[in-house]
Amino acid sequence: MDCLKYHAQFTAYLDGDLQPEERKAMESHLKECLLCYRKWHSLQKMQAVLSRLPDLDPPEHLSGLVMARLRERQFRQSFWPVAITPRWLPLGVGVAALLSVFLIIWQLVPSPLPVPAPADQKRMITRTGPSEQSVATVKTTERNLGSTGPVMVLKVKDFSRVNQQLEAMLRAFSQSMAQERESIRPVRSSSARLIDVQVPGQQFQDLIRELHKMGHLDPGQLDSQEFSSPRQTKAISIRIIVVSNGKDTEVLRQVHTAPNQE
Amino acid sequence: MGTGSLVQKSSSAQREEDRVLVHRCRSGDKEAFARLMRRHERQIYNFTYRMLGSEEEAEDLTQDIFVAAYRGIKGFRGEAKFSTWLYRIALNQARNRIKYLSRRNFFAKQKSRAGPAWKISSENLEALPDSAPTPEQWTMTRDLAAQVQQCLNQLPHAARQILILRDVQGFSYEELSQMLSLNLGTVKSRLHRARIALQECLTNRLE
Repeated sequence: MDCLKYHAQFTAYLDGDLQPEERKAMESHLKECLLCYRKWHSLQKMQAVLSRLPDLDPPEHLSGLVMARLRERQFRQSFWPVAITPRWLPLGVGVAALLSVFLIIWQLVPSPLPVPAPADQKRMITRTGPSEQSVATVKTTERNLGSTGPVMVLKVKDFSRVNQQLEAMLRAFSQSMAQERESIRPVRSSSARLIDVQVPGQQFQDLIRELHKMGHLDPGQLDSQEFSSPRQTKAISIRIIVVSNGKDTEVLRQVHTAPNQE
Repeated sequence: MGTGSLVQKSSSAQREEDRVLVHRCRSGDKEAFARLMRRHERQIYNFTYRMLGSEEEAEDLTQDIFVAAYRGIKGFRGEAKFSTWLYRIALNQARNRIKYLSRRNFFAKQKSRAGPAWKISSENLEALPDSAPTPEQWTMTRDLAAQVQQCLNQLPHAARQILILRDVQGFSYEELSQMLSLNLGTVKSRLHRARIALQECLTNRLE
C-alpha cells in the first residue's frame, strides 16, 4: 500500500517538488524497498536520457524559406484581397460544385414561363375566333425564328386595317418594339408582317385579353399554357406574325425557312 | 546536448529584446521577424522533430509555425512571453499535423522503416552515465535515443507534448501551465502519467 503512495510521488520527487517531510519519507522508503528503488532509478535514468537527447541543428535554409513564403503571400495579397491558399481550395471547389448542382436542378425544374418546345416537336393550336375575319394560331417553336418567347401567328382578312390597330395597341404595351424584320422580306411582300415585341411580365395577360378583344384570339386560348406568364417576370418577348387569311400556308412555310438573323 | 540547456529561463534582457522585435514586427518590419525567428527556430525545430520523429516533417511544420506566427503577431498583446505565445501556436500546429499524419499511417510506416528494434538490456539503461558519456557510452546513448524516440511516437499526443516540453526542453511547470492552458495540478498529474507510459514502453523494449 505504501509503495503505491510513493510511486504516485515519483514525479514530484524527481522534479524536487516534494515537501521536506515528504522527501525524507521517500528517501527512507527507497533505502528500505528495493523494488521501489529500482522503479524510481529507472525513471530517473529515463529522464536523464530525455534531457540528453541529441539536439538537432535546424536546416540553414529554414529562415530563408519562411521569409520567401511570407514574401510570396504578400505578393499574392497585393492582387487578391483574401489570400487564396491551398487550404481554401477544397472549400472553393465545394462551393463551385454545389452551385453547379443547384444550376442543373434549376434547369430541370419545369419553368412556369412558356417554354418553347424543341424544334421537331411543333405544336399548333388553331382555333376559330369569334369573328369571321380572324383566326389565331399560336405556335411554340423557335426554329428559324430566333425568338425566346411565344410566337403568335395572327391570320386576318383585312391585313392593313388590323396592322394599324395592332401596332397602336402593341406600342401601348411594349417596352421596346422592334421594327419589321427586313430579313424576312419575302414574308412582308406577300402580305405578312413579323413584329417582335417586349412587354412587362405583369402586362402579358392584359395583352392577351386585348388581342382577344380585337378578335384575334379565341377565349379558349386564354387558359392555354402558352399564355400563362408569371407576374414576377420582368419582361417577356413575343413574336407576332400577321398574315392574310388564305395565304397562311405559304407565309408560314417562308417564315420557317427564312434564315435567322438576330 | 539536450534542448533543455537551450531553454534557459529567459533573462529579462532577452525578454526585452523579444518585446522590441515584436513591436517592430507589428509595424510590418520583416527584418525584425527574421531576427525573432533566428532566436527561436532552434527550439521550435527540435520540438517539432521530437513530436514527429522526422526531420523533413519537422522542417515543414516549423515553417508553418513561423508563417502562422507572422500572420498572428498583430494579435499578440505581450501579456505572456513571446516564446510562450509561439509555443502555443506550435502546439496547435503540431496537434493538427499529428492528426493528419496519423490518418495516413505515417507513424506506423516510420516504425517499420526503422527495422527491427535494436535490443539493449535493461542493465545498459542502469549503466547510463550521469556525466558526459565516453565515446562508447555515447554510441549506446544514441541507440537508446532512437528507442526513446520510437516510444515517444507511440504515446498519445498529449503525453508526448508534455514530456518533450518538460523533460526534453526543460520548461517549468508554470510555463507548461501557460502554454497548455492547464492548471498546475493537471500539468503535474498529466506529466506523471506520461512518464509512467514512456517508462513502460521502454521497459517492454529493453527486456
